Parts: sequence; C-alpha cells; structure tokens
Amino acid sequence: MTRRLTASTLALALAGAPLLAQEDMVTRDRVGPADAENALTFRLTAYDLYSSDPATSAAFEELFVDFIEDNPGWRIDTQLQTGNLSQEQARMIEQAQAGRGPDCAMVDSAQLATYKAAGILSPMNEYFTEEEIADFFPYVRDGITDEDGNMLAVWWFTDLRVLYRNTEVVPEAPQTWDDLQAAALATVEQGYEGILFNGARGEGTTFDWLANYWALGGELVDEAGEPVFYEGENRELFLQAVRYYESLVDSGAAPARVTSIATYDDMLAAAAASTTAMFVGGNWMYAQLQTTLPEEEAAKWEASELPGPTAEQRATGTGGWTIAALTDDPEKVRMCAGIAKLYLGPGNAFQGLLPTQASLYDEYDTYAGPEFEVFSAALENGRARPGVAIYPEISNQIQILLGEVMSGAAEPEAALDAAAEAVEAAYARQ
Amino acid sequence: MIQSRRSRWGNALTYAAAIPLAAFFLIPVIWLLSLALRTPAEVFLGAARLVPEEPTLANFRQVLTDGGFRLYLWNSVKLAFLGAAGAVACAAPASYAFSRMSFRGKPALMMGILAVQMVSGLVILIPLYRWMDRLGLLETHAGTTLLYVSAGIPVTVWLLKTTFDGVPRELEEAAAIDGLGRFETFLRITLPLAAPGVASALILNVILNWSQFLIPFVMLSETAKWPISVAIFNYAGATNATTTQLLAAACLVAVVPTLIIFVALQRLIVGALTAGAVKG
Amino acid sequence: MIARAARRRTATPPPAGGGPVPARPLPWLLPVLLFVGLFYLWPIVDALRLAFTDASLLDRDAAFSTEAIGAMLGSPALGTVLRNTAIFTLGSVVGQILLGLAIALLVVRGERNGLRGMLVMRTLVLAAWVIPGIANGIIWQMLFSEAPFGAINSALRLAGLPPVAWLSDPGNAMMSAIIATVWQGTAYSMILLYAALRSIDDTLYEAAAVDAATPWERFRFITLPELRGALLVNAILIVIMTLNTFDVIISLTGGGPGRATEVLALFTYNTVFYNFDLAGGSVLSILLMAISLALAALVAAFLPRAGRR
Repeated sequence: MTRRLTASTLALALAGAPLLAQEDMVTRDRVGPADAENALTFRLTAYDLYSSDPATSAAFEELFVDFIEDNPGWRIDTQLQTGNLSQEQARMIEQAQAGRGPDCAMVDSAQLATYKAAGILSPMNEYFTEEEIADFFPYVRDGITDEDGNMLAVWWFTDLRVLYRNTEVVPEAPQTWDDLQAAALATVEQGYEGILFNGARGEGTTFDWLANYWALGGELVDEAGEPVFYEGENRELFLQAVRYYESLVDSGAAPARVTSIATYDDMLAAAAASTTAMFVGGNWMYAQLQTTLPEEEAAKWEASELPGPTAEQRATGTGGWTIAALTDDPEKVRMCAGIAKLYLGPGNAFQGLLPTQASLYDEYDTYAGPEFEVFSAALENGRARPGVAIYPEISNQIQILLGEVMSGAAEPEAALDAAAEAVEAAYARQ
Repeated sequence: MIQSRRSRWGNALTYAAAIPLAAFFLIPVIWLLSLALRTPAEVFLGAARLVPEEPTLANFRQVLTDGGFRLYLWNSVKLAFLGAAGAVACAAPASYAFSRMSFRGKPALMMGILAVQMVSGLVILIPLYRWMDRLGLLETHAGTTLLYVSAGIPVTVWLLKTTFDGVPRELEEAAAIDGLGRFETFLRITLPLAAPGVASALILNVILNWSQFLIPFVMLSETAKWPISVAIFNYAGATNATTTQLLAAACLVAVVPTLIIFVALQRLIVGALTAGAVKG
Repeated sequence: MIARAARRRTATPPPAGGGPVPARPLPWLLPVLLFVGLFYLWPIVDALRLAFTDASLLDRDAAFSTEAIGAMLGSPALGTVLRNTAIFTLGSVVGQILLGLAIALLVVRGERNGLRGMLVMRTLVLAAWVIPGIANGIIWQMLFSEAPFGAINSALRLAGLPPVAWLSDPGNAMMSAIIATVWQGTAYSMILLYAALRSIDDTLYEAAAVDAATPWERFRFITLPELRGALLVNAILIVIMTLNTFDVIISLTGGGPGRATEVLALFTYNTVFYNFDLAGGSVLSILLMAISLALAALVAAFLPRAGRR
C-alpha cells in the first residue's frame, strides 16, 4: 500500500517533466526558435509576458513573436524576477559584477541609481532619435541620463499616487490636509474607516507619505546627494508632514491599523468590502477597482490629486519601471532597446499604464478616459525619488519613524533624531 | 473494569485536548483552501465568505495547466530528494563514528558541526555565491544539490547519532565476533536496525529542502530550473489583477506532494518502530 | 519499583568508550568534513574577512577597515533589536516545545489506545510545516488583518468580543509573530519528540502500572527523564533555527510597526539588502553566530547529566 502510493506519486511527478518539450515560439524560458544563432537574456517581471492573466500574456506573446520575426536569427532567453525587489536587486548586481548578469533587464525606476552607481549599464542613445529622447517627460529624462548625457535605460512607464474616494460618501474631492481630515472624520461618523494609506514597513509607506513632505517644499538630499532632510528648514517641514500623519491617526480620521497596511491590495480590499470611503493609491488601481468591484459600485469611485498643506502646494510620488542593457555587445544593446520600445508604446497601451513620452497619450485610444486627465494633471506635480544609493536606507528609516509615531511608540522629534543618526551612519559607510 | 473506565475517561480527555490543538493547525489551512476556491471578486469579502458563494476550481485549473508549474514541481522533487539522500549518505558514517568511537576532540567536533548551522545563511550566501562561481557550479542543479546537502548535514548528523545511540551494541559485537569488518557491520547490522531513524532523517531533509528559498533563488536565474518554492512567488502580485486566490491555490498544490509522501512514509516509520527491532 | 526499572535500564547500555576495534574515525568523518569545509567554513572565513573590510555589494574592491565593527556594534538600534530577538526567540522556542510535546504525547497516547484521527492530527501539524515561510506570513497576515472583514477580528465581532489590534499595536505585533512562527515550527519538535516517545521502553510503563502510578507520576518519573536528551537536542536546534528566522516576520510585519518586531536576522538582512553594506552585514551575522553558540553551549551544559542515563 505504502510503496504503491509512493511509486505513484513519483510517477506523477516524472510524467510532468517532458510536457514542455513541444517546439513553441514562446515558452516559459524563451521567445523564438530554440536553435537561433544569437541569444539575448532578458530578465523581466511576471506581470506581462508571463502574467497570470491569460489576456495579458496572450497580448504580449503576440508583441514578442512579431518582434522576433522582425529580427531573424535571434532568440530571447527569458528569466523571471520575483516581487522581492531588494533581494532581486542585490542578486542582479552581484551577478552582473561576476559577469553573469542578464543582457537586458527590467529595473525599478527607484533602483536605477544603484545600477548607475555600480557602473554596469550600457548607453542606448544610438537606438533612439533625438526627438524620441526629447519626448520623454523631463524628470524621466533626468532619471535615465548620466552626467555625460548617456541614456542608460528606457523608463517605459510611470505611476503616481492619487486620492480615491467613494463619491457617494465624499462628493467633493478634498483639496487640503484639513479638508481631508474633516472629510475622513465625517465618514467615520457614518461607520466607515476614514482614510487609509500605507503605514507599515514597506516602500509604499515612504512613497505615499513623501508626497506630503515634497508638497511643503522639503528635500531628502541636496545637490551632492547628501541626506539633508533632518537639517535646517527641511527639519521643520519634515516634522510638519509627520505630524499631519500623526494627527490623522490621533483624531481617528485614519484607523490605527494603517501601521499594519503594507500593500495597496489592502486598500482595494477595503474598497471592495465598502469599509472605507477614501484611500491613497496608485493610478493603476483605477483599473483594478473596475475589475474587482461590481459595475455600479465601481462607478462610485473617483480619483483626484492628493491634497496638499494648501490647495496650491501639491506633489505626488512618481515611480514605474525601466529596461536597461547590462551587456557591452552593441547588437544585444540594440535588441534590448527594441524590447524596451515594445513596452513603451503598445505594451503600455494594452495594460493602461502611463507612458513616459507625451506623444503616446495622443497616439493610443486607451488614454481617452477621464481618469487619464486627472492623472496627467497630477503628473505636473510629479516627483521621483532621489536617484542616490542612500535612498533605500532613508526610506527604511522613514518607515520606522512613521510606524513609531503613529503607533504612539515615539514622539516625532525623537524619532527624527534617531532616523537622522542612522542615515548619517549609513551614509558615512557608503 | 476500573482500567477500562479510566481509559475511557483518558480517551475523552485526549480528544478534549487534541481538538482545540487540531483547530489551531487546521484553521489557517481551511482559510487557504477557502481563498483558493474563490473568484477574484470574493477574495476581499473576508471571513463572511469562508464558504464561497460561487466556489470555483478555476484557480487550481490555471495553476495546474501552467506548463511551467509541472516543471517547477519536478525540479523541486529532484533537488529535494537528491539533496536529502546526499545529506543522509554523508552524515550516516559520521554519526556512526560519533556514536560508537571515542577519539580526541569528539565533543568539540560535534559542537563544531552544530555551530556551522548557526551561521545565518544571509551573509555567507554572498561569499558562497562568489565561491560557487569560481567552482563553476552556479546555475546548475548539481551545485544547488551540493548546497542542499551541506545545509542538511549538521542536523542530520545529530539526528542520526541519536538514532545510532539507540541501537544496541550487543548485536554489533556479535557481528564482530563473526568476523565482519566495522564498515560491513555498520552497513549490514546497524543501518537496517536504525532504518526508521534514517527514514525520518531522510524525510525531514526532503521537507526542509522542499521549502528552501534562498539557495535556489541565488544559485539559479533561469526560470526553467527553479523549484516550486521560488516559482510560487510569481503568483504573488500583479499590476492589473488580484492574485491572492492564485497564490493560495499554488501554495496548496505545492504542499500536497510533500504531504502525500509524508503520510505514505510515516506509516512505514510507525510500522518499523512498533515492529520492536529498536527496543533495547 | 519505578526507580528499580530505571536503574535496570541504566545498567545495560553501553560503556562510554568505543567498541573492541581501535577507533580510526577519519574515513568515517571525511564526507561531512569535506562538505562542511567547502560550503561552510570557507564562506565563514570569507565572511569573517569581510567583517574587517569596507566591502559593499556595489563594488568588489574592499580595503581593510575596522569601521564596520564599530559602526554596527555602536548602532543605537542594536539594543532594541537584541531585546526583540530575545523575546521572539524565547516565546517561539517555549511555544514550539510545549505544543510539540503536548501533541506528541496526545498522538502516542491516542495510538496506543487505538483512537481515530491521530494520523490526521499529525498530518495537520506537518501541513503547516511544509507551507513556505513567506506564504505562511501572507496567510497569517490575512488572519490577523485588522480590517473590519479580517478573519479573526470578524469572527470575534460575531462572538460579541471587541477586535484586537494584532499587528498595529507594537506589543501585540510581537505576540502575533510568535504565534505564526509556532504554528509553522511546532511540527519539527513534534516529530523529534514523537520518535523519542515511541522508543521509550514499554516495560518501564508496565512496571509503573504494577505500581499503580498516577498518569502524572508516569510522566514525571518516566517520560520526562527518558525524553531529556531529545528535549535538549530539540531545544538547541530550535533556538538556532528561530534565531536565524525572519521570513515569517518579513512578510507578516516587515519588522514593524516601527521597529517593534525587527529581530537580529531581519536587521542583518536590511543591512545587506537596503544598505548594500556587506561588511556591516558580516559583522552582524558573526554576532548572530556568537549568540547562537553561547545559547547552544548553555543548553548543552545540561547534556552530560542526560547522557549519564
């Protein structure tokens, strides 16, 4: 009995193995014919070509197959990266320095600076016309270009944070911090949770909150890339933005559980369950709300620019992903640039992500919806995170600080002093 | 009579204690199953939908029809079993020596083997990566297996030493009188007597290897070589859809093979234990 | 009678030394030594070397420096992190051993009396164990969710009880992390103790039955002393595993709120993966190793007495 069970388990496992053998243009680890003479390794995230959503993966398969037909003799060996960004980054940099990195890879825009500093990226200028480069939004162009004018990556989509609200409960979009707090408290009286945002340990917490600090005019680092958020004028602005969050929780406008919210999925869940009437979320969540909520519920939700300290002082954090070449081989850099263009235009249009070139918004019908007007208006006040290697630690310290202040474990001043000390120590060691 | 009434009370008490404990271990698994059976729209409805209104097998179907998934499972089986077999094969003679021989530095050596276990995998991982690169073993299942073997060795040495300690020496001494050499005695007498312990060490290793994440993650960058423990995170998170239900289904599918193997082999162990070979 | 039975047992077993053949252990130890040397010692030596440099993940050239040691050991966060580590380790280890022992005892008793469901019980505990650590964190995050629809809190509300701030309250967050760790790790203790329980000589219990010993007496004077060795080995192994664990915490709380659940292993991870500070990370991992060694030595100090049996 026992032995038979074991044997059948093994047989089951063995039978699974050869199922992959069929010759296909797109498999789990390659695009193009297996016997092509040239191969490019491409490390990508699991959101498109290998998406768990069949429609998305089918659309990208088509794009990739067309691309391979335009480039006969080539094959793309694909490598997936997991969602653990900091581990993936460390692994890729370590591999690149050992000469074993992929030829071409997707890199989070916030991490691009680290790759630039490690000196492992190849310029892509010659594969783009001057007009195409000029077409990128200014902050995008700054982010991907080095001091010598080399374009080291293609930042193919951007994202930003906005305020979502259930218009049935909160008809008017709050414009200032005070508006938001008052509106949130009014919803609490009706039995809602108030306003939700990320407050746990995670990049989202820093990123959501930075918009408030930037709206006040604060800076994280100076021109030379040295951390300055705890000095001079910045210190007061920083504390002001921290106290804003503190008062949201203390007044009950935001529930204490925000310090346990680490992903935007929690916000989506609360919207789906109708327990909250407002939350801070990414622009991509507009589409998620449409697919997750029943139609009449989804129709109640609208996005607006994040409130500022005053209606005039606004900012929002912008992120997104880039594609960069880690190889020195010019032919492979050309292929990598070609792949980046697939994502930049048609790929974005299919997924409804925000392209980084102004002209693309007119080129594709996807961007005709009213939500894109809100997004592009808010993008005017978009700020990218500073492209310095100390940023991850600054972010880590801000997460700790906000968690301690909002859970009542520390006062803003003391928490800021501790964060400053830690960041200075880490900076001195870099 | 008294005996039986007492044992009936004892049985009731056993159940009274076992049921809450079982519930503690069961509830999260039920929760996982509940999520795996939901449609995306129901995922966010929480405990109120413990039994989904529209249960669906679509998540399991999607995970199982994903060609890559079977490959990941196969990779896991290969790495976990080879690694476990390697660890037991290497550790068994050493454990025997620790159990039966006395030599200088034995306690220190035993503590030393345990001590290496205390090194956080985190930091030796990067020196290890550079070292494996120099040995030319990166990106291979062979290199990954070697690391699984070494990860399993310390615990296995200790487990098997305890097992061998429980095997009576009289039988070995008899074998020695019959003229068997030490290694033959070990192979033909001690090892069969210690079979249940060896089997449980093997299974322990298989299970520990099955959930290895850091080693394969760092060693292997080609997706087709990934074991399921790494691949499972492809189902976590996406930009345009919610995937909690898929992750839940993938977790269950990933866990079932080890459970089947365990339940099957567990009977083997219990059988061997009760056969009385080990009783001293 | 019990005492006599125990004495009888101590009389037979092995003399402490080797068998009749002179011991030549090297060939027996060779495979283990080779693996340990190649894949542990060498990288550890390298990690030690890195601790005395200014190495970073970002560039491969490292120069000699003792700065990392000063910076890491002088870090103001270290105190909090060590305190968290102590609470987390103590709570998880005690929890895993007690639960593991309880379940092993129940299952052994159940099997002796032919009760149904014991295989199910064992399998359930093992199921928790084979779920990958990060997935485990995700499951418990949903269970502990403080949203109005969170699994445990919504059940509490149905029962008319107030909700609990499982993750957002700094004190509770540590307790929640311990519960999730115990849930997953108990299987390991259970297996070890189960095997040890099954190998206890039945004649000891038979002797006790003749003496009409109460269940407590049987447990106190037979089971516990017989389990002593297994319990100690188990304790050492779990202490080490728990100290090096952070995957459950990283997906459950990420170390937060604030720093409330940041343990030394997670702190080390952050130092390497946020700061790319390989030298600092090496210093911390050596500290972690030193703490593990000290604790293991402390537990091992009880071993000789157990070995005398």
